[in-house]
Amino acid sequence: MGQGKSQFTEEELQDYEDLTYFTKKEVLFAHQKFKALAPEKVGHNKNAKLPMAKILQYPELRVNPFRDRICKVFSSSNDGDCTFEDFLDMMSVFSEMAPKAVKAEHAFRIFDFDGDDMIGVSDLREVIERLCGPDLKLSDSEIQQLVQNVLEEADLDDDGALSFAEFEHIIDKSSDFCHSFRIRL
Amino acid sequence: MSGGNSKGKARSKRHEGWEEAGGEFYQELYPGAEQELFEHLQRADAAKLATLLPSKQARNTTTVKRARSQNERRQSTFARTTQSRDIHLSMMPDLSENLSNEERTWEEIMQIKAMPVPMNQKRELKAKLQNATKLRLQGLENIHWQQRKVWHRFRIRFGEILGKLEMWQSPMREIEGTFGTGVVSYFLFLRWLLFLNLAISLFVILFLIVPKTVLVETTYDCDEYETNSTVCCSHAYLNRNLTESNIVLDVIQGTGWMERTILFYGVYSDQIYTYFIKTFWETHLYYNMPLAYILVPITWALLSLIAIVKAAAKGFKEKLVESEGQFYLYCNLVFGGWDFCIQNDKSAKIKHKALFNEVKGCLEEERFKEEKQLRSRESQIFLHLRRILINLIVLIILIASGVLIYVSFNYSLDRLSAKTAIQVDSDGPDKLYVNRTWEKLASHLSIDRNYQVLGLYRESSFLEQLENTLLEFLPYICIVVLNLIVPEIFNYLIGFEDYLPARVIIVTLLRTVLLRLSSLAVLLSQIYMFIVSNDLTCSWGNDEANGLECWETYLGQQLYKLILTDFALQFVTTFLINLPRAFLARHSSSRCLKIIGEQDFYLPKHVLDIIYVQTIIWMGSFFCPFLPIIGTVYYFLIFYVKKFTCLTNCTPSPVVYKASKSKSLFMSVLLLGFVVSITPVAYSVAELLPSVNCGPFRGYNTVWEYVIDTFERFPLVLREFVFLLGTSVFAVPAFALLLLFLYYYWAVATANRHMVSVLKNQLVLEGHDKQFLLNRLSAFIRQHQKRCERRNRASFADDDSSIRQSSR
Repeated sequence: MGQGKSQFTEEELQDYEDLTYFTKKEVLFAHQKFKALAPEKVGHNKNAKLPMAKILQYPELRVNPFRDRICKVFSSSNDGDCTFEDFLDMMSVFSEMAPKAVKAEHAFRIFDFDGDDMIGVSDLREVIERLCGPDLKLSDSEIQQLVQNVLEEADLDDDGALSFAEFEHIIDKSSDFCHSFRIRL
Repeated sequence: MSGGNSKGKARSKRHEGWEEAGGEFYQELYPGAEQELFEHLQRADAAKLATLLPSKQARNTTTVKRARSQNERRQSTFARTTQSRDIHLSMMPDLSENLSNEERTWEEIMQIKAMPVPMNQKRELKAKLQNATKLRLQGLENIHWQQRKVWHRFRIRFGEILGKLEMWQSPMREIEGTFGTGVVSYFLFLRWLLFLNLAISLFVILFLIVPKTVLVETTYDCDEYETNSTVCCSHAYLNRNLTESNIVLDVIQGTGWMERTILFYGVYSDQIYTYFIKTFWETHLYYNMPLAYILVPITWALLSLIAIVKAAAKGFKEKLVESEGQFYLYCNLVFGGWDFCIQNDKSAKIKHKALFNEVKGCLEEERFKEEKQLRSRESQIFLHLRRILINLIVLIILIASGVLIYVSFNYSLDRLSAKTAIQVDSDGPDKLYVNRTWEKLASHLSIDRNYQVLGLYRESSFLEQLENTLLEFLPYICIVVLNLIVPEIFNYLIGFEDYLPARVIIVTLLRTVLLRLSSLAVLLSQIYMFIVSNDLTCSWGNDEANGLECWETYLGQQLYKLILTDFALQFVTTFLINLPRAFLARHSSSRCLKIIGEQDFYLPKHVLDIIYVQTIIWMGSFFCPFLPIIGTVYYFLIFYVKKFTCLTNCTPSPVVYKASKSKSLFMSVLLLGFVVSITPVAYSVAELLPSVNCGPFRGYNTVWEYVIDTFERFPLVLREFVFLLGTSVFAVPAFALLLLFLYYYWAVATANRHMVSVLKNQLVLEGHDKQFLLNRLSAFIRQHQKRCERRNRASFADDDSSIRQSSR
């Protein structure tokens, strides 16, 4: 219990500072935010594991079309439930300081729905459908066209799916990605 | 097969090179993998062969390895340099080869954060690295490392402090949460302008305003000089009794007592301040006011130029990379489309919709392009005709608005001068003079009566004063209103032109910029005519202020008024017009009212608003040194006004604004504004006769003449040197050299572009090769499997038959 400050030892904070893109103060701030999601639970155990539903109450995640994927990617138990450390990892990747390569790495995993280490046609379809939201539906032929276009642009080796190298290549050329793939703490 | 063989050889050679580069990685992967591979191949599902390729293996390990190996390479070079530094150490058997030193470990720990693994694994890794045996650094290296560590820590702290100082963080976050990154980039731009103005203001305050207020001018008595000398003229101008008038009106017009304040050009001294400080030095200290007055504008102009170019260059670099990848349109849309910072439901919904529209738009655009190729010649001609017609209309509107400004300016000038002319007959100087002396005598005789008259005048003429003020402001109101209405018309017209959506923004932006700048140009040219047509007369002997004793101040006043009008208008439109509209839209269900009331945050318009103000500031800062300070305050206030517009009045725009593109666009427009605003100032500095009565340059033919005069007093060597720079001996080779550099970089850029396309082709070919080999392999495996099965069956059959035989 008690204040956020007293919940961490100096050593832990130093660890967090070394292992994330945050300073100590930001780590504490992140913990406050984490605590706000479930004050009771986190009050007892600073590194409590919160179920995915709780994590998804974080404002930016709540409306994000890829929210469940984000949680799963960052969850250390791979089921979407996050401890504070997972949350901190997540925020660190989404922070402004994180370099493009790190962001691209995680973005790839977020977009890779079926987990086969390739962004295939089904993954692309899923991404597009989620982007347009639950209310608006593109017609099947439109989605097909769009997937076709994306693959035409990015699939250099013509195998009908994007490998990480290809994905990274796109991200390198996209200056918008860094602006948009970011959550301010 | 010989050809194939050599090719294979070449490939294997390349392969070797490759292996060398990532040696560790492959050594580790292959030996184990080989057996595994065969096992896989035995059971392989032919379609899944591709997942066995090294490039498709789990990247967790590869990225970590990659980061490591890079690290190692850097360290090895580092080690080499240190080795060469102390050779005597390297003579001894080197046990340190496998051990890392403290610095290396530290570097590796810093690299951990980039790994995509959960925190506890990271922590384990860190602990492992920390506990591993390592060499202690000694001597110079240790100091070097400590320095690095301290620097790193300092940078973090500094960043933290800077982050705290960063203005408007929470409003930015709020805006970002509802409107996305494109709109935030506008507010960042606004903040950037604020800081630019702050920097300019600092210069102005430090070098003009503080010296002016602190240092004491020596006063000369006019009696010792001729009546038309600068001393007498300015004496007469500065000491003239001010006509009494309303303080409020003075403040908003910059006339009356305001005219004699440090706000305007007029009061700045033409003297070189001399100071004699006994206690410190036994010498005189000088402060050359006129020189400061010309150097400060040059400094801030250069400062702004560098700032713009630096910001724009960053944008251009991004744009260049992007334009090379024009083909990445859809990828950008799909992978970079969502703003992860959006945090409320409504904006999320709108963002979904915007993305939906964008996708549809892009697909349609493609279809549109295809259609365009198919489109008949007639319809194309028709389209072009329509575009030409609309461009003509736009041109006519632009000219008409120019004429309107011209007329209103002349009208207000005529009316105002007619009013003053009631008192002043303009028959001729002699008669005027007689008139004046008579008036003077009369006023001396009947002061009391005069006061009464004055009082009467003041009572009766409040309305008149108001009218005067309105007349004074008429051209500015006209400009501002035009700026408000005409863009709407342009917006409407562009609908007929069938441009691509991205093009629409640029075209409207350009037209609106043209409108704004042309209106400014008309105003300036009017003022210019006015200045030139009125002879610059000495104030000595002319008791009546005839409006133009100090044209620089006059010009400063005009621009000052323009800024005030603009701010008032921003304020009024936001709070008195748009707020009720938004209120209506929110609280009524009527469709009609909703259409009237709903507004989206149309980015180009708001960008123009602030760039326009910046243009005025640049234009006026020479004549009204206070303008940058006013500008700073303006931007500070306008941020809140715009934030209010954005968050309260507007709904998120259905157009997707790209943060990266909009930034470079802002900067290019700003650069245009800069050129447009600096040109007239430069012209006036170089060509126009400064007024005799006021300012730092009274008595010179041009402002620049003063600079040349000062330059003549420099030591001979320096002068010669600068002259040499100007001669063809220097200029021609320098120019040629620059051209050469330009050509060189251009050539390098082209070569790189060519290389990129070659590599891309190669990549595609490799991809095909891989595909081909995989197909072959899978076919082979299938065959193999079939053969195995057949053999198995055959052996079964054999067994069967043998069993049968044996049973018999």
